[in-house]
Amino acid sequence: MIRFNPDAAGEKMLRRLAGGTSRRGILSRLGAALVAAPVFPLLPVSRAEAAKPDRSPEAKTAFARSAQTKDDTKCNYWRYCAIDGALCTCCGGGIHSCPAGAEPSPVSWVGSCINPDDGKAYMIAYRDCCGKPACGQCGCDNTDRETQLYLPQLNNNVIWCFGTSSMEYHCSTAMMIGAA
Amino acid sequence: MTLKGTLKKELGTNGLGMNGVGTALARLLLGATLVTAVPAAPLLAETLGEPEEPQVGTIDAPKPNWFYVRGGWGSAGSSIFDAGTGKMVGMVSTSRDSDLAIDPDGKFYYVAETMWSKVNRGTRMDFVSVYDSKTLKLVTEIPTPGRLIIGGFNTNFVLSDDGKTAYDYNFDPASSVNVIDMVKRKFVRAIELPGCASLIPNPGVGFSALCADGTLATVAVKGASQDITRSAEFFDAAADPIFSNVIYDRKKKMAVMLSYTGLVRTAQIGAAPVIGMPFSIQEAGGMRAADVKPLDIAWYPGGMQPMALHRATGMLWVLMHKGEYWSHKEGAEEIWGLDLATKKVVKRYPVEGHPSNIEITQDDAALIMINGMENDARIIDSRTGETKHEIKNAGGGLITVVQPR
Repeated sequence: MIRFNPDAAGEKMLRRLAGGTSRRGILSRLGAALVAAPVFPLLPVSRAEAAKPDRSPEAKTAFARSAQTKDDTKCNYWRYCAIDGALCTCCGGGIHSCPAGAEPSPVSWVGSCINPDDGKAYMIAYRDCCGKPACGQCGCDNTDRETQLYLPQLNNNVIWCFGTSSMEYHCSTAMMIGAA
Repeated sequence: MTLKGTLKKELGTNGLGMNGVGTALARLLLGATLVTAVPAAPLLAETLGEPEEPQVGTIDAPKPNWFYVRGGWGSAGSSIFDAGTGKMVGMVSTSRDSDLAIDPDGKFYYVAETMWSKVNRGTRMDFVSVYDSKTLKLVTEIPTPGRLIIGGFNTNFVLSDDGKTAYDYNFDPASSVNVIDMVKRKFVRAIELPGCASLIPNPGVGFSALCADGTLATVAVKGASQDITRSAEFFDAAADPIFSNVIYDRKKKMAVMLSYTGLVRTAQIGAAPVIGMPFSIQEAGGMRAADVKPLDIAWYPGGMQPMALHRATGMLWVLMHKGEYWSHKEGAEEIWGLDLATKKVVKRYPVEGHPSNIEITQDDAALIMINGMENDARIIDSRTGETKHEIKNAGGGLITVVQPR
């Protein structure tokens, strides 16, 4: 099983966020959220220095075994391993762009998904697009390594429209953050 | 009978087509003289004599055999169904992604909810709406500083056993809990609780919550301050999480927790909760325990509200499906009845429609309700597995029942 460190996930998210937003309020609340980081469990991590991860079919989840890299409007597109909601690619948006009139959330939940072409795991930020009614197209609910509310950055039920002018959920994107 | 009913009957007895609607309406609006001038049809049971006044009904105080069924994602309203008859008796106005709690005294329904001044934008307002349980009319609103907008969980808005205090989980995106005085109907204060969620009432103490470090935090609320203590680590929040929808038994002061692999744990709730040893639901069913490894096909628990506890008998009913690990949101193929005392699965009922929510009435009838994405619900006799009622469009969301005191 592939596991990754929520601490590291939070740090990467924060770095990314720091470069991309000026919302001081949301940052301070995020800072408060990350106070939780030291109490997160230290998990076996697929770091570069760790042993080479097992990417054989036997070690892959059901989603990873059937994932594809060609069509990002399908639920089995590899980046969607932990997405929940409408795919923005089906709503007039793109894999990392919101449809016209929607507003990307500055924060997100994350997934660690395997690209079947190179066999490597990547961290994906599922950033909600907000401020418009639910798109309703291409509803997906994939749950690889998806957890519960006490580990919210790995939970896909939360509407992540924090820090946006409206919390109305429109659709979800799947942005590449980097190697997991 | 309502005005609509009257009009319908008129249309029926006089054989009016669509063009006759205006005529019929005109008759009604002209008043009693004209209405009484219309001869009553012989098939009508009631006498169309005096003109009728619009009325509004009331319902009984919360009953142990009622199910409160939330509509599907994004929809509002919790329909109340009588488990015995399968009929709807009313609806609580639970707005989108709100959380419902039932006053233990049965006098009120409390709805923690969020609205904006311009529906989907403008000024955000968070509050707890208080509804009279018999008239279902709004009594008052208690403003709060915020809450997690999610719905679908029974652990985000919980009441103390005496009903005097409410704990409302907030995530913005830092975790805190709003303490609300339900007697004075006033927000008291927020308690920061990083890395924890899934609230469990803790009588005389405050509340407990599951945490990302695999512990159970207990928050002893003491006036303007609090002591937060944590249990020893007992689960892995990332590898084998416990479903957020933990069940709490008021009488036994016991919480029941279920993990993705099917590990069942009970915890005696108190100032220092005592967490029991986990046992595997699959082993309780005579199989090997399920694993986290891919390609290991087993029966797993799944859904949004994957279990229901009949408190008097200690029977835990769990939605189970066959599959691989990380399929924890999948709907059920079977319902398993697990006797918590003997740790044995004593019933297995096949179900259709892949339900993702389950609840059970707390009376002796012990009737189960299941629902799911299709918005249809089914009421099942937990003793026999027999379907008692099928209810179309009952709602596909969280199901709530009255808890015994």
